[in-house]
Amino acid sequence: MSEMWINMGPQHPMTHGLWNLRVKIDGEVIVDVDPELGYLHRGIEKISEDRHYNEVVTLMDRTCYVAGLAWEHLYIIASEKALHIEPPERAEYLRVMCEEFQRLGSHIMWFSAFVVDIGLLTPLLYGMRDRDLVLDLFQSYTGARMTYEYMRVGGVRNDLPPGFTDRARTVLDWLMARFDEYDKLTLGSDIFHKRCDNLGILKANDCIAHGVTGPMLRSAGVKRDLRKDRPYAAYDRVEFDVAGADSADVTGRYLVRMEEMRQSVRILRQVLDWLDRNPGPVMARELPRWLGAPYAPVGREGYLLKRNYPKGVGFSSIEEPHGEAQAYIVNEGGEHPYRVKLKSPVFSNISAARQYLVGYRVADIPPIMGSVDVCIGESDR
Amino acid sequence: MAESPGAEKREESPILWVARPMATAARQFARSLWRPSTIVYPYERLEDPKFREKLEVKSGKPFGVGDIWDNYRGVHALNIETCISCNLCAFSCPDICIEMVTVAGGDPKHPKKCPEIDYGKCSFCGFCSDACPEGCLTMTTRYEITTPKRQEMVFSPERMYEIFRSKLPMNPIRLARPENEDQILLDPPLCIGCNACARDCPTQCITMLDIPKPEAKPGEKLPRRIWKEPVVNDSDCVRCGTCISVCPKECLFWGTRK
Repeated sequence: MSEMWINMGPQHPMTHGLWNLRVKIDGEVIVDVDPELGYLHRGIEKISEDRHYNEVVTLMDRTCYVAGLAWEHLYIIASEKALHIEPPERAEYLRVMCEEFQRLGSHIMWFSAFVVDIGLLTPLLYGMRDRDLVLDLFQSYTGARMTYEYMRVGGVRNDLPPGFTDRARTVLDWLMARFDEYDKLTLGSDIFHKRCDNLGILKANDCIAHGVTGPMLRSAGVKRDLRKDRPYAAYDRVEFDVAGADSADVTGRYLVRMEEMRQSVRILRQVLDWLDRNPGPVMARELPRWLGAPYAPVGREGYLLKRNYPKGVGFSSIEEPHGEAQAYIVNEGGEHPYRVKLKSPVFSNISAARQYLVGYRVADIPPIMGSVDVCIGESDR
Repeated sequence: MAESPGAEKREESPILWVARPMATAARQFARSLWRPSTIVYPYERLEDPKFREKLEVKSGKPFGVGDIWDNYRGVHALNIETCISCNLCAFSCPDICIEMVTVAGGDPKHPKKCPEIDYGKCSFCGFCSDACPEGCLTMTTRYEITTPKRQEMVFSPERMYEIFRSKLPMNPIRLARPENEDQILLDPPLCIGCNACARDCPTQCITMLDIPKPEAKPGEKLPRRIWKEPVVNDSDCVRCGTCISVCPKECLFWGTRK
């Protein structure tokens, strides 16, 4: 039998974004794969060097279209370290709330896309319907459904509107009931198990060797979660368990993500209670001077250079819905960051495709790649 | 390899494989039969207050549309009457889609300028309305700006004034200014007392005060200037930097008074 290369992508229902998976097949069996990334490169890191620290937040929303607030959080932590600012405690809790709601939204979106990959169209509509409630919550306090622009260096833009926490608790109750429904629709049928068990296996040592993080790593039995291992923001003050599975296959990743959503609801209930009890400022009182007011008039930026800014370097890594994201920001003293470097977990997860695809059939590619939770916007930036 | 949960019921009849998820779907179908989640968009609008009441009663959703639209960032509304032409919205725009254009109402020497927004570029981030010191540039719940002509994406100040007068719900959020904000400082030896900063200050917070004219020593030549110096009233100043940009001698700058 002769081998041949086929291109799955850049436009293919499997890809969930603009990327190309080149597959070498021998009949139905995958012999080799070659993921090609870079079709969605927008130069966000380079544009950031030309923007004010707060304006970069608008770009961070566009890195990942399902987890915008998580990326804002990543950038804001790093830039606050680079600028030597301490956010108030309430802002930290609000950011944790944003990130956990974003994890819910992202995982529900993943669920909707993944079930389509394995041929179930009904749960897609359930997922999209329930994700809308999370987006409604975002809209009620940030003012937008996709591009939030909510976080600022030194805090967040605004406090919660009155009655928000009660509304959010209602949504959480509703979502908790829906997660059981999702499980009935998928795990309740043996067809799901016949399709997904022992598929796309990536063992723990392979995960670590290839830098694979997030639910893929946790499904292989390694309980690695930055929220627990290296707590940032207010994660050291909330209780939750790290979701995990041992099977290292597609079913394991499904179980890890479903359990993570339940843990997110648990975190959110604690955070909402804390926010109810502790009103306070959401913005640091003392900001570096040029962050408060808009700066110099166009064409007269030279005046800014008269001031002496504290220089610094900021690094942050957070547990983004897809895995461990990292940001590195160099503050050379101007009002723009000198360098913004972002590391996407999806890039590592896709790059290890050869490890978990070779040996399976062509028809197995959509479920396996669906279980990776691909978001090309953040991997290409 | 560890078995996944659900593996113990591997030996059941294949009919149950299909029947069990279908029972869940049928239950959901019955629940949503008379209250669909779908919104018939052009006829029903989430931001419509009448529709809100209707939906909250009927919907099976735990949380309908409610007041979530109050903070929405849509098309801007501009109150031309209270606009002070400070340029802060244009400075703070990350997309550089705001241009200050002359509108009627100013005197010929000091024209009144209001923002004109190109919605082809705008990303609706809200930085301009956050920066507006007078609260005259706000964002409304209007989101339909589709048009066949590119020129119609540019909203003139008068057009945004019409939106303001249509009384749409407006984003009430204002950012607090930090305590250690910069002030406008003067480099006195460079100043020539030309009055340009006081003339163009949008809030009229700069006063030109007389300074004593020094006696010329023999052999020394006094600079040719008007013997006045600007004094900035910091509580009224909105930190727009107009005075810095109009100063011909570049003697004003940002800083903190010790």
